[in-house]
Amino acid sequence: MSASAQLNLLDPTTYPSRRVEAWKYSDLARVLRDAPQVSPTANVGTAGAFDDIADTVVVFANGQSDEASFTAAGKQTLALRFVSDATGTAHSARYDVRVPAGSSVTVVESYEGAGSAYASHVRLTYVVEAGGFLTRIVVADDVADAVSIVDAEITLAAGGKLAQTVVSTGAKLQRIETRLAHYADGADARLDGVYVLNGSRHVDLTTVVDHLAANGTTSQLSKGVARDTSRGVFQGKIIVERGADGTDARMGHHALIAGERAEIDAKPELIIYADDVQCAHGNTVGTLDESALFYMQSRGITEDEARALLTTAFLGEVVDRIEREDIRERVDQWLTDRL
Amino acid sequence: MAAVKETIDTVAELERYKYGFTSEVEQEFAPKGLSPDIVRFISEKKGEPEWMLEWRLAAYERWLAMEEPTWAAVKYAPVDYQDLYYYAAPKKKDGPKSLDEVDPELLEIYAKLGIPLKEQEVLAGVQGAPRVAVDAVFDSVSVVTTFKEELAKAGVIFMPISEALREYPDLVRQYLGSVVPVSDNYFAALNSAVFSDGSFVYVPPGVRCPMELSTYFRINASQTGQFERTLIICDKGSYVSYLEGCTAPMRDENQLHAAVVEIVALDDAEVKYSTVQNWYPGDSEGKGGIYNFVTKRADCRGDRSKVSWTQVETGSAVTWKYPSCILKGEDSSGEFYSIAITNGHQQADTGTKMIHLGKNSKSRIIAKAVSAGKSDSTYRGLVSVHPKASGVRNFTQCDSLLIGKECGSHTIPYIEAKNGSAQMEHEATTTRLSEDQLFYAQQRGLSEEEAVALLVNGFVRDVLQELPMEFAVEAQKLVAISLEGSVG
Repeated sequence: MSASAQLNLLDPTTYPSRRVEAWKYSDLARVLRDAPQVSPTANVGTAGAFDDIADTVVVFANGQSDEASFTAAGKQTLALRFVSDATGTAHSARYDVRVPAGSSVTVVESYEGAGSAYASHVRLTYVVEAGGFLTRIVVADDVADAVSIVDAEITLAAGGKLAQTVVSTGAKLQRIETRLAHYADGADARLDGVYVLNGSRHVDLTTVVDHLAANGTTSQLSKGVARDTSRGVFQGKIIVERGADGTDARMGHHALIAGERAEIDAKPELIIYADDVQCAHGNTVGTLDESALFYMQSRGITEDEARALLTTAFLGEVVDRIEREDIRERVDQWLTDRL
Repeated sequence: MAAVKETIDTVAELERYKYGFTSEVEQEFAPKGLSPDIVRFISEKKGEPEWMLEWRLAAYERWLAMEEPTWAAVKYAPVDYQDLYYYAAPKKKDGPKSLDEVDPELLEIYAKLGIPLKEQEVLAGVQGAPRVAVDAVFDSVSVVTTFKEELAKAGVIFMPISEALREYPDLVRQYLGSVVPVSDNYFAALNSAVFSDGSFVYVPPGVRCPMELSTYFRINASQTGQFERTLIICDKGSYVSYLEGCTAPMRDENQLHAAVVEIVALDDAEVKYSTVQNWYPGDSEGKGGIYNFVTKRADCRGDRSKVSWTQVETGSAVTWKYPSCILKGEDSSGEFYSIAITNGHQQADTGTKMIHLGKNSKSRIIAKAVSAGKSDSTYRGLVSVHPKASGVRNFTQCDSLLIGKECGSHTIPYIEAKNGSAQMEHEATTTRLSEDQLFYAQQRGLSEEEAVALLVNGFVRDVLQELPMEFAVEAQKLVAISLEGSVG
């Protein structure tokens, strides 16, 4: 069993350290030394940012909720609000979503943090059946000193469709992990990510896509910007199993380092056991183009504005891939507010 | 008829690895197994200074406390370190003064290997033909080094490391283990304890080594591990191009080869290190073959120093090898060009590390992997930029080609940037041979195998171009031979 699947915030012996390869850049054992107390119950008074476009809203207050699962029917929007309001304590939650044939569901998971130094662990399972379509939007807005782990296991049946976008501002240690069992045969998956990091925040976007059958496609694009002393981690693994011929899998990760002491760690992996495939990954790390900055300043735009504009354009490419316009606009605004 | 065809195929298979002969050279062995006494035995055999023995014993102690690494994507039967000979040498009375005194049996082997050992042959060749100085290592000892005098005139020291330990102990002591410390990893510690020979190169300041230097490694004796140690020091403003080739007989046992190569490049120095690795890969059932567990590292200590690794990896049953560059000097640069071809049951986990410590250091990685048969090939690499290294540039390209349904090809890069001004690019692709191109080549009259060889040679061309001329021709042939039987 993987370290992620074994994790229990109340049991420090399950905390993966950097000696665990999959957690190499996110040393949970170092950040969270002792077992925290269980978080008290909390009341969530405010409305969520996506409530108005959702058909169903499920709120988890410090991990507590009356709901445990959701089965989509027809076309629906589900808002899952994981609200943390705790200080120095830990909580966890589980939720299961089933997307049957013929249904099309948009799930907006929002991670909303209040309080300080809490530890949150959310485990989700998604089952997308043949002909089902899941759009998953993850908006992670934890407080700077929180530990936040989101761990999703997605099964994509033959002929299913998945479109995922994660946007995040990190936390003391934040990891958003998605493991996809891709049963291909016409199934199509898109897994994207955007991060904007300030201060000493840390984000770890990890994806494992396992192509288990022939003729599946996967497209991944992640971009991020790390400022100050923050650290962005991208780990993307694409596996093509024996017999999964006809797979077309592409992955890109591009990061800007915008702080002298910021750090980017990337580990894009291809594990291929079938020969009739097209697989590629690209990874770049760099800074904003000085000549573009100069040009904009010479046209009367201040340096800060020029930087923000170029960064927005850089990250915008990922946001533009969100199909639903209303959500795309909100995500775009959410990011702009944080740049 | 089926049986007849099978026989023909089997015979044809046997011919494929043409270096798979053994030679009846009288050998001298140390007893099997590893212990402080064996370490002492080797050190004494080599007439080493006391500090060297202590260094070895300390390495042995470290090795005992270490565990064999298991992170590489390779599977192999465990090595019984007590069931190996750590020292095997062709018997000789006194060190040969000239080639005439070398055991003719040995010379025959090197003739079979196509090594231009005899100076006169080379000298009699076309005027202006490239000359290559050769150090030939047979099992545990270096048997012959050519062109020593001419090199000495230029001030270049090129000799077996065992000899260098006697003649230039201070120079060896200053640099040995300074790039790959004794405790670097399990195999490096083992090597430090028991290495018996290898090459030593010192190029003095401002000297451009007048010819290519070359070492041929040959494992001949059975149940013998080979642990060679190579140390290359390029002083300020100097240049050397070093070639390394290796072969072994066909045996149904797995033999261990655990070498360490250390390169030191001072200010403005440049080292070009080329390897054609053609150890016996095992038979078509995956029986036998060399375990090639090698630590190669270059320390670009000086400003504007440059080290370029080029490797063609076609042999060995299991390869575990990451020629690396520590780019300490300002404006230093590291290059890694690799072709890894696996067929049959071969497994290769290879790549490089580029550690950027110096300002404006640059690195370039071009890795091409071809997997066929039931083999597995992994590119594993690290590019890291440390906080004080501003202005770093890196470009990495890894391309993999799969031939057949039963092989695997994997790409595992690590990219770590800790400086805001770093510019790093990495791209990787995995595909199979284009049906269209194969069809086109066959339509023009090439057989399927010829067509595959042609296309693969095209695929790896970027790397082949980096090889010195003498190696490029050999490597090109090797690419075709390694892939024989992979189609149809």
